[in-house]
Amino acid sequence: MNQTPRGLNRTLLVIIGLLFTAVGLHGLLVSSLPRYAAGWRELAEAVGESVEYGLRETAMAGQTTSWIWIVVVIALIGIVLLMVGWIAVQGKGRTGVFAEAYFPGSGAEGTPSGPVTSTPGAVELGAAVPEQAVKAALADRTDLVSTHVSTWETGGDAGLQIKVQPRLGAAPLQVSREISETVQEIDAALGRSSLVVIHLAAGARTRMSRAERVR
Amino acid sequence: MPDQPDRQEQNAERERQRIARRQLRSPRSFASIVAALVVAAICLYFMFEAAMKSIGQDIWIKSPGQWWDWFAGLPRGADPVLLPLASLLVLLLGLYFLLQGVLPGRKARRILPNDRAIVLVDHEVIAATLARRARTEANVSPEQVMVVVGHTMVDVNVRPTSGIRLRADAIQKAVEDELVRNLVDPLPKVSVRISESGVVGQ
Repeated sequence: MNQTPRGLNRTLLVIIGLLFTAVGLHGLLVSSLPRYAAGWRELAEAVGESVEYGLRETAMAGQTTSWIWIVVVIALIGIVLLMVGWIAVQGKGRTGVFAEAYFPGSGAEGTPSGPVTSTPGAVELGAAVPEQAVKAALADRTDLVSTHVSTWETGGDAGLQIKVQPRLGAAPLQVSREISETVQEIDAALGRSSLVVIHLAAGARTRMSRAERVR
Repeated sequence: MPDQPDRQEQNAERERQRIARRQLRSPRSFASIVAALVVAAICLYFMFEAAMKSIGQDIWIKSPGQWWDWFAGLPRGADPVLLPLASLLVLLLGLYFLLQGVLPGRKARRILPNDRAIVLVDHEVIAATLARRARTEANVSPEQVMVVVGHTMVDVNVRPTSGIRLRADAIQKAVEDELVRNLVDPLPKVSVRISESGVVGQ
């Protein structure tokens, strides 16, 4: 449920992959084919000369070094920052707030017990509220080895991910139906129905624990 | 105005389907982090050398210009064993990144229908259920059954108890029934294999 930019991941992986593949292939060809190596040296010499000419032309006033080096350093810093940013967005999207609402307040409101003056204010439900509710509701089930609940941002709203590890042999449809019934009860309690992902996962703990026998 | 709730519902449904689809494919986070670290390390190194050069300090290993001369003169000045080896390593790393970027990366799980939530089930969980059904049908111990679930097929391997004949079509029917009961859709092709050699009765 996270907001990893998958398109960006794949695009950058393809670009970087192509670059590395080209460099590796070039290294192999240069070291194994003398004719390719000769051609490469000729080409590289021509390129090197034009670059050197450019560097001489752009030398800083009163110095021998070119200002292109400063541009190169800035570009490299930019790439490094982009890479750090790219790593930082992997798996992001967890949130600590399940729901929030602002009540502007009003003068007097009619209620069965008489007029009430409401004060303006904000109400915030932390992510722990639904997480603990789901965990507590599923804690007694013997057909689940473990339960993990996390809250994620999904398009402006919070969504719940319920990851459970059923015992070996537990019927997936029945387990998922019962969990979704639990979710509906919690919906009613919280007065809000959010997007829910129920993931019946397999893991080391299911393999190690005893199998489900009676259902 | 009257169509607004409708559109909202449509958007919610689209968002739901998008999230469901995302759960079935790998996000390629690991390869991305490795690629980012490698590229950042290379850039930091050249940045350091270029910075040294621009402030007129001594260089560390080679200045960028010297690196270029070395690169342009290959294979001159390079170790005849180390160069192909290093090139091969870079090539393999590049192919790894490329394949991670291009291959679909489907995860071994599928979606079960549910009207409240998105339900994802790992294939291993389905396999365990099918194995239980197959072993009760064949009346053998859990160790004698192995089930592999793929996207389009289910493989059931049963080792019979020696002396007791097993009927493959009955096991196949039972496994198919279990798949239908769990609303696995589309139904994968079930193939049951009963191995030639049996095991001593347990």
